[in-house]
Amino acid sequence: MRADLLTHLAVFAGALREAGIRVTTGDEVDALRALVLADLGDPEDVRLALRCTLKVRPRDERTFEMLFTRLWLGRAGERTAGRPLGENGPGHPRSPLEAGPSGLAGHERKVEEPEGEERGASREALLRRKSFDRWDERDCLLLERLMARLASRLATRRGRRLRPVHGRGRVDPRRSLRRALATLGEVVTFAKREHPVETARLVVICDTSGSMDGQGRFLLAFVRALKRVARSTEVFVFNTELVRVTSLLSAGEEQAALSALARAVPDWSGGTRIGESLMAFASRHLSELVDSRTVVLIFSDGLERGDPEILAEAMRCIRARARRVIWLNPLLSDPRYEPSARGMAAALPFIDRLAPAHDLESLERLVPHLSL
Amino acid sequence: MRPEIHALEEAMAGEGYIADDAIATALLLTEDLRKPLLVEGDAGVGKTEIAKVLARLKKTELIRLQCYEGLDVSTALYEWNYPRQMLRVRMAEREGLAAEAMEQTVFGRSYLLERPLLRAISRREGPAVLLVDEVDRADEAFEAFLLEVLSDFQVTIPELGTIRAEHVPYVVLTSNCTREIGDALRRRCLYLHLDHPSLEKEVAILRSRVPRASETLALQIGRFLKALRERRLMRRPGVAESIDWAQALVRLHIGVLDLEAVKATLGCIVKDRRDQHDLGESELVRLVDGAAHPEVLAS
Repeated sequence: MRADLLTHLAVFAGALREAGIRVTTGDEVDALRALVLADLGDPEDVRLALRCTLKVRPRDERTFEMLFTRLWLGRAGERTAGRPLGENGPGHPRSPLEAGPSGLAGHERKVEEPEGEERGASREALLRRKSFDRWDERDCLLLERLMARLASRLATRRGRRLRPVHGRGRVDPRRSLRRALATLGEVVTFAKREHPVETARLVVICDTSGSMDGQGRFLLAFVRALKRVARSTEVFVFNTELVRVTSLLSAGEEQAALSALARAVPDWSGGTRIGESLMAFASRHLSELVDSRTVVLIFSDGLERGDPEILAEAMRCIRARARRVIWLNPLLSDPRYEPSARGMAAALPFIDRLAPAHDLESLERLVPHLSL
Repeated sequence: MRPEIHALEEAMAGEGYIADDAIATALLLTEDLRKPLLVEGDAGVGKTEIAKVLARLKKTELIRLQCYEGLDVSTALYEWNYPRQMLRVRMAEREGLAAEAMEQTVFGRSYLLERPLLRAISRREGPAVLLVDEVDRADEAFEAFLLEVLSDFQVTIPELGTIRAEHVPYVVLTSNCTREIGDALRRRCLYLHLDHPSLEKEVAILRSRVPRASETLALQIGRFLKALRERRLMRRPGVAESIDWAQALVRLHIGVLDLEAVKATLGCIVKDRRDQHDLGESELVRLVDGAAHPEVLAS
């Protein structure tokens, strides 16, 4: 009986893992201990015990319930429900954003109009008006100098904790007294402590798809300047696939960095899959690189070719961990643009700040938001 | 486990907490497996109340640690009583005590100020209930520290040595989900997600907490809030708000919801200027009608 239960639980946990719910061996041990206490004849009892011990979060609840019905209660008839969530059939009604009768859909068309003729004249014109397209070496140097000046503004927030310091600061009674013991209770020097200045960590994720083509050079200069200021800056680029390029940007000539980048990125200036790329970032790098001191910067025009639902889910994950999420959209400087392209609309609820990035001034205004 | 769950639910109801099966199961397991319970959910759904009721049921002390950003060991765990230490050092000087003997005295247990975590661990009279409230407000460094305390239930104070828990406390952690709790801490706990209550549950809660509210009023409040929560609000009212509201209405001798009463007391449930503004007169009329005649809302 006990061995049977163990196998059953292992199979169930395996299925949960397969469906993307993180279940560790420790959770399984908890679950087993609970099941020994539970009345196994009562499915509700078992369900509640499992939900509690396997730490099923609200977002995983549907998957859990489905698998529980199928595997634990063994109701084969509900297998049709076993299709992974989000994998909607062709006949499935699409998201309300797409199906929306007038408002959103209308705007969407407006934005995508120039997009329709892909590399046509109007699209070119739209991008040409942005000064960054015409940047040369001298401007890049200027940018780096500007960034150096702004560097001090990146690190302005004082931490809440107190750290021991030499020299000026507040008196630290604990350390002072400890020191005083050496001189028979006579306080000779006061130990001091102070709130340390904290620098934000930055993660930059750049869109390099065709619609962002004109921005490439400038982005590179900007990111390199940022890296000089905040050393822990991590950089990713994506079009259809996500590539980590931090190491390529660390040193050397701009031209060398550019060509190294071009080699590393499979399809520079190809199509865009923002959602899937950000999801790849969320699942592979999020826990490692993003914490509550990290500001995530995303450069993209939000013209999503894939499923906006995936984009929303990815943004939700990133937002939950990061200090702040800033989305830089070069199209924003165009007065005709409204952030209702379906990718942008899906991401919008999870963005702390949506800002234009088309000239130096817009960047300068951005810098204060990069600190903690 | 079923009879035990029902027994616990009844006991909790006796203490004024209407629990469903999920809550009772989670509490039972917390007790049996001796693991902390992490409760997540919107503000005002009764997370903190769980710990309070648990303490009342166990007839033990509730020790509360309110988290905030920058919370550190000296507020959460222990702090030396410096002024007292200083005085003792001065006296020792006159007595001509040797440095080592003095240190022994000054770093004794009686010079230690116990903060909530240490208090929960060192309590001698049976296990306490430790409530770590709004753990999502503390930073990650504190989370890691909490993890250490919660896994071993022992604390090492350099001057004193290791203090082991006499009785492992019942631990309830709550989170408003303002940030994701780290995986390691989550794994160490049992997990319960609290949602806004169903209509029946909310009415039962109101009846139990505000006995002077009539059945009709409780039902109308329940329906009103259920419909209100389905709207897109900046801040969704929780059970705490509906209890406040019921109390306010009872105080004003209002037995049946009407537009005037709702407008006068809207501040009890809608606590955001924009939300109040967005709820126009016509919407309020619809909600009041719906509360009186549920079929109106359904149509």
